[in-house]
Amino acid sequence: MKFIRSLICLCAFALTVFPGAVAHADASASTAELKDASGKAPVAADMQKGDPGGTLTGTINDVPAADPKAGVTLADVANQVGQNKIGINFTWTLITGFLVMFMQAGFAMVESGLCRVKNANHTYMMNFMVYACGLFAYWVIGFAIQMGGAAGNANLGGLAPLMTEHPITILGKTWGLFGQNGMFLAGHTYDVGVMVIFLFQMVFMDTALTIVTGAAAERWKFLTFCVSSVLMGAFTYPLFANWAWGAGWLSQLGTNVGLGKGYCDFAGSGVVHAVGGLTALAVALIIGPRIGKFNRDGSSNAIIGHDISAVLIGCFILAFGWFGFNPGSTLGASGAGCLRIGSVAVNTMLAGCTGTFGAILYMWTLKGKPDASMSGNGLLAGLVAITAPSGFVNPTGSAIIGFIAGILVCLSVSFIENRLKVDDPVGAISVHGTCGLWGVLSVGLFADGKSNYGGAWNGVTGSVTGLFYGDASQLVAQLIGIATLIGFVFTFSFLLNWVLDIILGQRVSAATEIAGLDIPEMGQLGYPEFVFAPEPDIMLAAERAVAV
Amino acid sequence: MAANKGQGRSLSLFLVGLTAACAGLGVLSGGMGTIVLLAGIVLLAGSLWNAFKLKPLEGAVALKSQPAVTKLVGAIVVVAGWAVVLLGLHLTPSVGGRMIAAIVGLAISLVGVLYILPAACNKNAIWKA
Repeated sequence: MKFIRSLICLCAFALTVFPGAVAHADASASTAELKDASGKAPVAADMQKGDPGGTLTGTINDVPAADPKAGVTLADVANQVGQNKIGINFTWTLITGFLVMFMQAGFAMVESGLCRVKNANHTYMMNFMVYACGLFAYWVIGFAIQMGGAAGNANLGGLAPLMTEHPITILGKTWGLFGQNGMFLAGHTYDVGVMVIFLFQMVFMDTALTIVTGAAAERWKFLTFCVSSVLMGAFTYPLFANWAWGAGWLSQLGTNVGLGKGYCDFAGSGVVHAVGGLTALAVALIIGPRIGKFNRDGSSNAIIGHDISAVLIGCFILAFGWFGFNPGSTLGASGAGCLRIGSVAVNTMLAGCTGTFGAILYMWTLKGKPDASMSGNGLLAGLVAITAPSGFVNPTGSAIIGFIAGILVCLSVSFIENRLKVDDPVGAISVHGTCGLWGVLSVGLFADGKSNYGGAWNGVTGSVTGLFYGDASQLVAQLIGIATLIGFVFTFSFLLNWVLDIILGQRVSAATEIAGLDIPEMGQLGYPEFVFAPEPDIMLAAERAVAV
Repeated sequence: MAANKGQGRSLSLFLVGLTAACAGLGVLSGGMGTIVLLAGIVLLAGSLWNAFKLKPLEGAVALKSQPAVTKLVGAIVVVAGWAVVLLGLHLTPSVGGRMIAAIVGLAISLVGVLYILPAACNKNAIWKA
């Protein structure tokens, strides 16, 4: 018995000591290898001769040593690897953020091109000013509400200063409501990782804001537009974005009640586009149609935009920027499934392509002409729809999603104009609202369960899987997201803009609208040297009727 | 009268008020937080009041009054649909039950968005006159 006990003790001792000895031996070997590499590294004299082949640049000489006397250690190398990973992800996220920022130019061209020349300056100015309004509001409070509780992103170094989500407990489950850290990016949020996520999220928010200007173009009072945009950037957008992306309750549907991986919206079909599109619908309802848009019998008149070339170039700029929108939403190019960026980018391209085909074939087949503005809207519809599922679906799925969106946008434009009698000069409600909601829904249908972003999504182990691949509960989570977009975001925007209408007035005067908003609102014509063609007779008659 | 100096002053005051209110909110636990927050709210109210006074000077708009009660009913129906969806989460643990609740709730919300609110907003539309 004593012998057995001694034997066990001996084994235990050996098991304790042996791995340490092996590790020590490995460390010694690695240290020796590092010293060897240092010895072989190019010296100053080699570097002075130049390095045309690039074989001497980027060696162990470039790894900073904590103790120069000891030389480069394993710890130094490990630290440098960590720095490299975060550096790659910072660079990726920032550059994709810059691409999204450039989308503002695309929106400006699309919206202005689809408006009449007498409102060109005003429409461009709304698209220009929305950037400042949104950025300011987001810096002051919006970012804190959205991301103030969103710690834990390993791609960007953890974002530890953002960890104060305000919760509410219902029936024993804790649900996130809004973040609290990050107002003015002050205090602990003065942090390198937080700055990166702020820039990236800010340009997304600004995209949502600029959608509204399209639906309310040619009649929105500039002062009210500014105030409405500030409030949307401060409250409306950040609240929903928190619920979906900032550790809020929609993202917890998986962990709390077992609905798939919670509400999933990879790059913002819902968070960005549906929020913008539904707010656009709310504002368009309150502000009413342009003079001359509808006849007494309810039929509508086409009010042709002044520059279709600007519209199509703008669409291409937007499609280019979308490569920031979707692949950038991995928030990195290194670690945690980030290598899927190629797949995300290809899905984005494909959906834009099939969306264009969907719209152009619909118009050509049923209306007789391959309508240019609807083709542009088809491209955007496909891109909007693939924004949420781009990280979770395969190329076939993305092509189907885009094609459906291309047809859907044509049907939606007709429905909103002819049934709802809502005037949307650029089709923003259909492109971003309708197709945004379709994008959210399509995650619950087409997600193929092959994506793997660090082994879990929204804290639930596994990959996002839709109904067609066996998980019906994911579809329910997406439906709850859609219901929240309509039930909360639309209603909140409607009430907010209704109050603004009472206090400030949403709409310019009839005289200003007839003259065009450029001179009365902006003090300058968009194209001062142009000779304007007179309005069509039907528009002149409508303007005369209002003037009387 | 369209854009004017008064509107510019209102917007300036609004931005200053919002900044002050948020700064106060950010340091609410500190001694000065409440005072700064209140000052910000006063500035915000002042800016809105200034813009409200300017509103009648801007001329008639091509939009007649929209029935407030119907608009409110529409908004309530939209929210009610959302409430049905959220209630469904707690009423049943089954995926099928929750899906039915979500679809029913969405249908209710869509009645508000696609029927009641457009009807209210277009009731006195100028193009009908």
